[in-house]
Amino acid sequence: MKRRRVTTSVDRKRLALFLAVLGIIFFFPLPSHAYAGPGAGFAVLSSFWTLFVALLYSIYAFFVWPFRQLFRVLRKRKAYGNAQIKRGVILGFDGMDPELTERFIAEGRLPNLAKLRDHGTFRKLRTTYPAISPVAWSTFMTGVNPGKHNIYDFLARDLSNYLPYLSSAEIKGPKRSFKIGKYTVPLGGPRIKGMRRGTPFWHWLGEAGIFCSVIRVPVTFPPEKFPGVLLSGMCVPDLKGSQGTFCLCTTRASGDKFREGGVRVPVERNGSASHSYVPGPEDPLLPGSGDELRASFEIRPDKTGTQARFTVESQNFTLKVGEYSEWIPVKFKAGAGFNAHGICRFYLKELSPEVEVYVTPVNIDPGRPDLPISHPVTYSIYLAKLFGPYATLGLAEDTWALNEHVLDDDAFLAQCYANHDDRERMLFDALEKTQQGLCACVFDTTDRVQHMFWRYLDEDHPAARDVPHAQHPQVIQALYARMDELVGRVMKQIDDKTLLMVVSDHGFKSFARCVNLNAWLHQNGYLALKAGKTESGDWFEDVDWARTRAYTMGLNGLYLNIKGREREGIIEAGADADALKNELRHKLDGLVDSASGRIGITGVFDCDAVYAGPYVDNAPDLIVGYGDGFRASWDSVMGKVTSLIFEDNLKAWSGDHCIDPRLVPGVLFCNRKIAEEKPGIVDVAPTILKLFGLALPGHLDGKPWTVAQGTIVGP
Amino acid sequence: MGSLGVNLPALIVVGISLVIGLLMVVLFRYTSDQDAIRIAKDHLKAHLLALRLFQDQIPVVIRSYGRIVLATGRYLRLAFMPLLVVIVPLTFLIVQIDRYLGSFPIKAGESFLVSARVTDAAAFNDASLQLPDGLVATAPAVHVPAENEVVWRVMAAREGDYVVNVQASAQSFAKRVVVGSGLPRLSPERLRGKFWERLFYSAEPALPENNLVEAIEVQYPARDIAFASFQWNWIWLFFLLSLAAGFLFKSILGIEI
Repeated sequence: MKRRRVTTSVDRKRLALFLAVLGIIFFFPLPSHAYAGPGAGFAVLSSFWTLFVALLYSIYAFFVWPFRQLFRVLRKRKAYGNAQIKRGVILGFDGMDPELTERFIAEGRLPNLAKLRDHGTFRKLRTTYPAISPVAWSTFMTGVNPGKHNIYDFLARDLSNYLPYLSSAEIKGPKRSFKIGKYTVPLGGPRIKGMRRGTPFWHWLGEAGIFCSVIRVPVTFPPEKFPGVLLSGMCVPDLKGSQGTFCLCTTRASGDKFREGGVRVPVERNGSASHSYVPGPEDPLLPGSGDELRASFEIRPDKTGTQARFTVESQNFTLKVGEYSEWIPVKFKAGAGFNAHGICRFYLKELSPEVEVYVTPVNIDPGRPDLPISHPVTYSIYLAKLFGPYATLGLAEDTWALNEHVLDDDAFLAQCYANHDDRERMLFDALEKTQQGLCACVFDTTDRVQHMFWRYLDEDHPAARDVPHAQHPQVIQALYARMDELVGRVMKQIDDKTLLMVVSDHGFKSFARCVNLNAWLHQNGYLALKAGKTESGDWFEDVDWARTRAYTMGLNGLYLNIKGREREGIIEAGADADALKNELRHKLDGLVDSASGRIGITGVFDCDAVYAGPYVDNAPDLIVGYGDGFRASWDSVMGKVTSLIFEDNLKAWSGDHCIDPRLVPGVLFCNRKIAEEKPGIVDVAPTILKLFGLALPGHLDGKPWTVAQGTIVGP
Repeated sequence: MGSLGVNLPALIVVGISLVIGLLMVVLFRYTSDQDAIRIAKDHLKAHLLALRLFQDQIPVVIRSYGRIVLATGRYLRLAFMPLLVVIVPLTFLIVQIDRYLGSFPIKAGESFLVSARVTDAAAFNDASLQLPDGLVATAPAVHVPAENEVVWRVMAAREGDYVVNVQASAQSFAKRVVVGSGLPRLSPERLRGKFWERLFYSAEPALPENNLVEAIEVQYPARDIAFASFQWNWIWLFFLLSLAAGFLFKSILGIEI
């Protein structure tokens, strides 16, 4: 399915004919051959222009290179002068769990990681508080605690209204616009503001003249300028501005809305064809109206009823039932020349008796990005030209669609591994392009697949009770083997002057039981509902703030309703707040799930104790560490108060890591010996800086590890 | 003449260019592997971008340059394949158009050269030119032994469609001469044998085999076409305009070229 190979299928006869005619033209020239017309004109002009530009640029690069080196030396940026390594390669396997890894190594499934463990280093890697990807990867790249990089969760809360917003980036409309009647004509593009603070270590390396290729490290949107190349990862929005909104186009009538992450769109039958549309972003000419742009498409089933021909704008493709399309470009036309460009994949679910098509969230087109998703902007275009379109959405694997039973296990896995294959291609290209310097690439597949398939790893997960344990597919085992095989291929690409690190931001545990902390707060008198209410809607609808002392939203943060901070705060900052925090910690720590008899919360951490830095005021007041098998309930995350505190998790999303950080350390593998017994993810940045011979900035919280000289595990 | 300096020949060239530009891209669409061309072009662009993105890495720059050459070769191969399909009819079409737009007819009152190429130098002395009423020789024949040619200077007294005869070894060989204006069909040469050469250069029947005269040529003045304040050879104008039309239509029709 993925990218088309040109060179392998050379038609020898056509080539011979081509060469023969070319020979006749060259060796028996007639003036008429100059009359080749536009075809030859295009070919000759395009190719020679390309060659000419390339040649000019090569000459320029060749002659300018010594001067650039000299310039660096003059600016005292002598790259590699004190470096212990020529190249650093960091493979980020989001969520790779050390206990599972050890288990699979023991089972002989991971020979390459076993080699790294036996001859290099394998450690559990201390994660952040909380153990959430954006938090941990921000600490990974900046070498500081969240109090200095300002990322505490996917979501942060707006103090003026208790509503959530994305913690990593803020996207606003254009700065200037003018109105013509009911239309607002934007002048300029949207404004994007990164909320993560701190300086990623590749900025220091780049400034020192050490080239870095950084691919899909989370919380790198919007991409920041630095001397290197970077493709943004987790937190890149889709074209609608959301973190991923899939679309189910269906002829089935249903008033149900998806809980999160998707919309239902009607398919209208019209004779032998059916018509539907892909919902796009809000009309930029009518901001605030809620009017969305749409890209319509047609489905025309064939006579067998097993496949259908799709027409999306001028593009045609055929899909069998249960098959994905490639990435299809879609253009949303707003009029007056305003268009939004995206890409999406179509998955034909059903043709008879009903017609159902799943459409992925509309990703920003990397070959024509409407928002910057790389630095420089041309890097995403370069990758798109080289490998074809690829997923750009931060959370590209559509976990919501599987949760909502829109996709089945196989369709979800196919989507995951298609993205994974793209990522591998990018990694190996970056390795080839970065013979000196740093290459860091994060793979999300490990995280998404474990989230969605942990139910098959547990003996008795509530979400897989209908499948006998003996019949559970070995999805996670296959995932780890695949990652190990990737490590093996990378090891073959590197030399003995290259440091290879495999890191994960956190581990994984089962998510079998949900804890609605808002329900607990309500039942224990800390959160009040308006008179007559026993439950609330999403985002604290019907919460009586004037009588609420504490609340929770997001995955691990617990907030006090502080006077002068929150809009309707009632707790005095200082002694009262401290007392309330201690009281909550005392009551919540060790909270038992009476149904299972297990401890639902194994630790509650005071943020004043675990964070330090200029952005501590934005942190939650307490971090709740759930026990193994537990996590914040789906409702609690969305600020909803229910009557049940504990309940089974029946969703496919069955594994998680947003629990007590002490229970979910990540992994650290290295092809050199590392002396530290208890390394932390916060130490990665200073260690890399030290290995490249750079002085460590004073504000870093991490400590560099003692890394043995010389590669111990070679290719 | 219009405000842009356009005249009838220019209008004809513009029209032909538009039509052929459109036909070419449509033919290109159906005779080429569009996916392969798109990929080849994308790879070219990617390697060009690599030069900029990784400019400090000289090995990468050198490798990228090599890949650009390879990708260019691949692209050329893909682009020329469909060209092979259309080059034959297009060439014949253009040759025919050249009969009308390539040269001016002789103007009345102007002199011009008629030359005959012979196979044997001894035939020089025998060769003579017989002119019809309306054409007069203005100078004696000039022999060019190095080229085996005999050249006559002739003046056209008035407009008309004439036949001149070259006599050699008691044989007579006719050649058409057009004196006048407008866009008549012109044949600068009459040739013996040489099928391909006749196809491209002559619009008259072949000269008889086994005789002394190989070719008879009338030197019509080359036609320049006024267009956009410049004087153009029609082929160049056609080349540029059909190229522009092709780019226009390929964008409109979404065709990869």
